[in-house]
Amino acid sequence: MNTMNPSISAKADRRDQGAEIPVPQDKPEDTVIEEGKTVGKPFVNDPKFKLRNVNVSYGSDRAIKNISIDIGKHEVISFIGPSGCGKSTFLRCLNRMNDSIQICRVEGQLMLDDEDIYHSKRDVVELRARVGMVFQKPNPFPKSIYDNVAYGPRIHGLANRKSDLDEIVENSLRKAGLWEEAKDRLDAIATGMSGGQQQRLCIARAIAVSPEVILMDEPCSALDPIATARIEELIADMSKSYTIVIVTHSMQQAARVSDRTAYFHLGHLVEVNETNKIFTSPQHELTESYITGRFG
Amino acid sequence: MTDQRSQAEIVRKSLKRRYRKERRFRLYGMLAIFIALASLVTLFADIISKGHTGFVKTTITLDVNLDSELMYLEDPTDADQRSMADFVAPIVAALQEQLPEVDGAGEKRELGRLLGTYAASEISDVLINNPELLDTTQTIEFLAHDRVSVYVKHAGNPRYSIKLSEQQQRWVDELLEKGVIDTSFNDVLFSRGDSREPANAGVLGAIVGSLLTMLVTLAISFPVGIAAAVYLEEFAPENKLTDFIEVNINNLAAVPSIIFGLLGLAVFIGLFGMPRSVPVVGGLVLALMTLPTIIISSRAAIKSVPPSIREAAEGVGASKMQVVLHHVIPLAMPGMLTGSIIGMAQALGETAPLLLIGMVAFIVDVPGGFFDSATVLPVQIYLWASSSEQGFVELASAAIMVLLTFMISMNALAIWLRKRLERRW
Amino acid sequence: MKKDKENAYGDHISHDFNNDLAALKADFLKMGGMVEEQLNNAVIALIDGDGNLADEVRAKDKIVDKLELELDEEATRIIARRQPAAKDLRLVIAVIKMVADLERVGDEAKKIAKFAMVLAEEGQAPRGYIEVRHISSHVSAMLHDALDAFARLDSEQALRVMKEDKMVDEEYKAATRTLLTFMMEDARNISRCMSVMWVLRALERVGDHACNVAEHVIFMVEGEDVRHSSVETAEKVVGR
Repeated sequence: MNTMNPSISAKADRRDQGAEIPVPQDKPEDTVIEEGKTVGKPFVNDPKFKLRNVNVSYGSDRAIKNISIDIGKHEVISFIGPSGCGKSTFLRCLNRMNDSIQICRVEGQLMLDDEDIYHSKRDVVELRARVGMVFQKPNPFPKSIYDNVAYGPRIHGLANRKSDLDEIVENSLRKAGLWEEAKDRLDAIATGMSGGQQQRLCIARAIAVSPEVILMDEPCSALDPIATARIEELIADMSKSYTIVIVTHSMQQAARVSDRTAYFHLGHLVEVNETNKIFTSPQHELTESYITGRFG
Repeated sequence: MTDQRSQAEIVRKSLKRRYRKERRFRLYGMLAIFIALASLVTLFADIISKGHTGFVKTTITLDVNLDSELMYLEDPTDADQRSMADFVAPIVAALQEQLPEVDGAGEKRELGRLLGTYAASEISDVLINNPELLDTTQTIEFLAHDRVSVYVKHAGNPRYSIKLSEQQQRWVDELLEKGVIDTSFNDVLFSRGDSREPANAGVLGAIVGSLLTMLVTLAISFPVGIAAAVYLEEFAPENKLTDFIEVNINNLAAVPSIIFGLLGLAVFIGLFGMPRSVPVVGGLVLALMTLPTIIISSRAAIKSVPPSIREAAEGVGASKMQVVLHHVIPLAMPGMLTGSIIGMAQALGETAPLLLIGMVAFIVDVPGGFFDSATVLPVQIYLWASSSEQGFVELASAAIMVLLTFMISMNALAIWLRKRLERRW
Repeated sequence: MKKDKENAYGDHISHDFNNDLAALKADFLKMGGMVEEQLNNAVIALIDGDGNLADEVRAKDKIVDKLELELDEEATRIIARRQPAAKDLRLVIAVIKMVADLERVGDEAKKIAKFAMVLAEEGQAPRGYIEVRHISSHVSAMLHDALDAFARLDSEQALRVMKEDKMVDEEYKAATRTLLTFMMEDARNISRCMSVMWVLRALERVGDHACNVAEHVIFMVEGEDVRHSSVETAEKVVGR
């Protein structure tokens, strides 16, 4: 019916992982996104996160426009979308990492296990102990490998004895698949490791405080394909015991690791669906255009 | 194709011009550095050439017979007797032994003038400490008079005028030949306070004064500066008031130092009634002056801590306080330390504000505490440089060298610290 | 989901990707045209008793086989290098599968040509040729329509092809019954009739392949696999 002809003349097509694709100015003409309307299956039974009518604004800019979605228990859900579509912003609402930005305002109902995340009496520290985060760039503290992993348990007072702490460190490193590589050099400075190892260390650091949810903000965008594969394998393993929300620029990665995929577009949540469904026959034409490389 | 080739031709032609331009540009840079280096070398050469003699003292070593009759002294422990005694007589007698041709009271008096002003008290000190040495012969080293010193070190130098008589010069030459008059490393410079007598003046008082002042400055400006920087960077809300404070801190860094001196005079001495000329007040004033530097450099250091580290800590649930204490401050520490050391080095070289709070006084004693009157190195230099006695000229240069050594070692410390604690993320 | 059909695969950011998909489509249609021609020629050779034409058809099957290999390679390359998703992925997958169907149709044409030669050599009155002509025109139209539906991404037309297959099956049954009567009339007819029977069987298979192509077209356009499901389900999918 309508013409889908984004006048994009970009020649290079390197849909490499993490490679930033030009900002999407060209949304298919006449494609009206109805605010707050999401196609697919945004809701699940017995969710971990229940998010309703979430709006986020930076000053007068609306970054997230009336998004409602559930995130299931022990589910791997990935957020995809063009740069600036609000997926990272939305992710950061889930453990209130946006708090430090003064002009950022979050509205709507954000529930973690039926408790309001943004309740005025809610303790952020407690929330972040339950909802861990792994960032885009591996960011280990410039301390020893041991201290990196032990930092969380230490500040939360999770281990009273040295032996307890040792155990937590070992378990976390094992879960992050780093124990074999790191056990002989726990005192080595963490920043001396390779990028992939650093990122796995960051994951170990996040799981050391036994969170229920792990948020990952483009965890592989700074890594080479082999390291990326390791992390993805790790995500698959961890999905047994954690709820994982992952923001990624790599559609292939979303396709590989996640159970469900959510497509964001200019602050709207356009479509949420089973990953299989999204990548073979998405329901919304914007989703289709994005994942087939027609714009983005 | 031809188009590309002709373009390549154009490029090739312009290359020569471009390289020429580049060479010229490089030349300007080298010239600038050369000028800077040359002035630096000239400055150092001048200071060293003038000042190196300041590190040399002229001594007269004599076998003195501490004859009690000659000194009219029976009991060296008796202060009354000591005040009446003539300590110069045995020294002159010893000198006379070396120069047998000297005769008559007039010539003897001339001979006595070769000795430093404090030669007599040296003998008195010896006898007070060891009364049993009375009526024995001792080898004692005396400081020569400033005029002798100038003659020995600078004979033939047109910048110095020799104030010894012909006869005295002859004596000195003879004594030099005999090895009675000799030059050696000037330990006096590092073991005494100021003096009216150049041969007896030292910078120890000024060094200790400087150290005490710097201690006060450090103790106040470092914690206050870092606390202010941390608060402003990490905790202060972004509003008009913090903007205002920020602008004012930056302005404060540009305020002439003498204004801080006036402030110190008005507030610490005038309002709080603190004593003048003491290291505490000097330190307070210099702390005020150093604070903006420390705050600005500390803020820069805190800003340069990557946000990813902050996020990482927040991500595992560290509170604001923990983020700052465990991560931001340790990572910013090298920068803060460097800034503080450079600020301190600045303060160490500062004169103007200290003049106003009276640290310019003539102080002989080495200060023993924060509330003792003291002077500091740059002020000492200022005092000596404006002094009329010839011996002080080389002393001033020597003191400048001491001060420069301190400054260079502080800067070296800053560099070493930065290298040592270099950012490791 | 209804869009400008012309441009459906041609608006990627990557120009090369557009070209790759366009080439895949064009090559597939080329192979489709070739197979169609083979089928028609085989039937003409049979009916006219033209041994030369039959020979030509058998020889040309090699080209069809070569085209199949080329298309498979092209599709593999696109998957490996472009990692197509959604409708691009469906296009490539459908092409891979439809190519297999077309190749089979080519084989059936070859088979018909073989019988055409056998029958031409025997040179007797053409019994059962009316049925052959009838069914062949029917399945040939089905194949054409299925390829047309692919070219125009027209799932409704593909659905019609699916429905046609039912009728072809009916006609096939009727034709076999007729041939059985011929065979019962005169035992000497059996050998000939068996040959014709094989031809009819081949044509019926062609109809099935055309139907498969149509199903893949529906999958390609609508994103829903309608194989092994009833026509009603397919109608629902297309009618959405």
